[in-house]
Amino acid sequence: MRSLLHRMNPSVKFLLITVCMFTMAFFFDPWTPLIFCVGVLLLQVLFSQVDWKKWTLFMIPFFITAFGYFWTTLVFAKESSGPIIWSIGSVGVTEIQLDHALSLSFRVLAFSSLSMLFALTTNPVTFILSLMQQLKLSPKIAYGILVGFQFLPVIKDEFIQIQQAQRLRGMFQKKNALQRLLASRLVLIPLLAGAVRKAERSAFAMEARGFTGEPRSSFFRVITVGKVDALLVALFLFVLVLSCTNTFWLS
Amino acid sequence: MHDVILFEQVNFRYPDEDKWILNDFSFSVQKGSKLVLTGPSGCGKTTLLYLCNRLYPDNCDGVLTGNIKLFGKECSSFIPGEINHRIATVFQDPDAQFCMQTVEEELAFTLENLHVKREEMDKRITEVLALTNLSEFRYSIIQQLSGGQKQQIATACALIMEPEVLLLDEPIAHLDPYTAKKYVQWLNLLQKKRQMTIVAIEHRLDLWGDFFDRNISLNKSDIAFPIPQRLTSMQLDTSFEVTKVETKTFLKPTSFSLQRGEIAILAGPNGSGKSTLLKALCQLIPNSGVVEPAFLGYVPQSPEFLFLTKAVQDEVTYGGGYDVDNLMDRLKLVEIAGSHPFSISHGQKRRVAIAAMLCDGREVILMDEPTSGQDAAALYELFQLIDERARAGTTFLIVTHDMEFAYRLADSILLMEGGSLTGKFPAADVWENEQLLLDHHLLPPKGLMRHEKSFA
Repeated sequence: MRSLLHRMNPSVKFLLITVCMFTMAFFFDPWTPLIFCVGVLLLQVLFSQVDWKKWTLFMIPFFITAFGYFWTTLVFAKESSGPIIWSIGSVGVTEIQLDHALSLSFRVLAFSSLSMLFALTTNPVTFILSLMQQLKLSPKIAYGILVGFQFLPVIKDEFIQIQQAQRLRGMFQKKNALQRLLASRLVLIPLLAGAVRKAERSAFAMEARGFTGEPRSSFFRVITVGKVDALLVALFLFVLVLSCTNTFWLS
Repeated sequence: MHDVILFEQVNFRYPDEDKWILNDFSFSVQKGSKLVLTGPSGCGKTTLLYLCNRLYPDNCDGVLTGNIKLFGKECSSFIPGEINHRIATVFQDPDAQFCMQTVEEELAFTLENLHVKREEMDKRITEVLALTNLSEFRYSIIQQLSGGQKQQIATACALIMEPEVLLLDEPIAHLDPYTAKKYVQWLNLLQKKRQMTIVAIEHRLDLWGDFFDRNISLNKSDIAFPIPQRLTSMQLDTSFEVTKVETKTFLKPTSFSLQRGEIAILAGPNGSGKSTLLKALCQLIPNSGVVEPAFLGYVPQSPEFLFLTKAVQDEVTYGGGYDVDNLMDRLKLVEIAGSHPFSISHGQKRRVAIAAMLCDGREVILMDEPTSGQDAAALYELFQLIDERARAGTTFLIVTHDMEFAYRLADSILLMEGGSLTGKFPAADVWENEQLLLDHHLLPPKGLMRHEKSFA
């Protein structure tokens, strides 16, 4: 049970999440995104083995953003008439303002928790393979991305090596963040020069193994669509419909 | 026996260069033969190989005239991808020829390219792994394997296509001598089992023994670069003293000292901690211990990692600028003083790096793998450069796998194994001691063997 979301077909998951996001975009009340967000979290608790500590860490910036939206909408809102229901210092908050503010911040949370669900339960390699098999992504692009994945650790090693070598020349780590950013430009030039050379070599190696970029007739690792996907799609749509129809059963 | 590859009066040049890199070139490869192409860098070996597997001229828009026939057919009559499974290639760089995570997936990638049916894939993967004795690595993650293993996997990926011809582009350039020798033996067995035609590029033939039955030299000028035996320039005073340097995780306590003008070679198997030691000495990674002097020169395998400015002149003077004009002159950098450091040749980049280190007032130079992938002319130039600097009083500590080069150059040898320094030995003692060499994945240099024969 707890591995269902991890086993779900990544392309189906991707499409499902896109549909959910688009639907959410058309609701402007605060309750729809809130209920949906809670529903998504519930699904994630029930059907995945997500590392919740990691989840919290990744969500921190989104929490901050959500709070930022909430606060700025309240404080810098357009003058609106209506009874003041809450006052913070000299700022009076009307019901409409509060509604808008909550709606914006819950939206941020709904979208981010949905993206987090996808990111934390999907293996990138499987996702690319599935895009190629189910959504007919061109192998040229798909394998390009896969090779990129293989290079990430190599690039990281090289980045450290270049930094070390440059430190030896008397480039000391700047204290100022802006200066450090400008200094990293000097690391990027040799890094990119090397990356271009590596990319060409890989492309040649792939071509020498008969890769032409044409669609393949069979796959070694077949990514299937099955009952699990149907079940999860039904569950997600149920949560989606439930949250979208909240005006009927909440009031 | 018919010709599998036939070149008739082939001319080839790159689109943005006027010089023909192959000029009226003809050669043929018979089925089942083992051929090696030798010659200095830039003489067109790699170009020739890429013409054989059809990577060129399409991938570089090169200009090609003349006739290339593969398996008796005009080469342009093959559709893209068709020739690649009859003529398979293994490249030089073990890090840049894989695109999947595990060995099994990588092999399957090759089969998918050939439109092999899914039911057959498993059988063919099992077969090729059994043939190459690599079955234990089936589920291994490629990036975690050693350089030698990666080259074996790359060869298996080529063999799974059941090719008639195998092209090898300096397959052992990045391997230590012992691992390289093992690879050659392994390849030899495979060749006997499969009766393939092999065309290889290699500029150091000593490790291949009598593997090849034909050698084609692309050397246009025919100037040989025999590296002479160097006379020591060691002076009496100590210039470099290392006491109990160690890192927390890997490097065990290391102490040694070098004299002024001494050239020491640091050798050992891949992954024995040679680069780690160099970095610890330069204080690039945290370590404990005392290094005297602390201000060391360091030249990484890619010298361009060091470059910070837009002109060679600025690069050399960047860190201090002591004795700049003299050193620029001695290291032949005056004519390229205004060039961008990334636009000059590899040998020039290294000279710039050394000049920059010396101008900072760093009198001990540590070099990481300066010999790997270098041809005879480049090695000769490197030899001259180090020799000349050592005579001027610079002390060198050089990491290399190239024992021929070490034999010509070294005053002393430092051997490493599993993160600890076995010891510092006078060079002459090491070459005689075969067990010591074998323990550190090294092989005695051929220069020494010739030397011994002449006395016998």
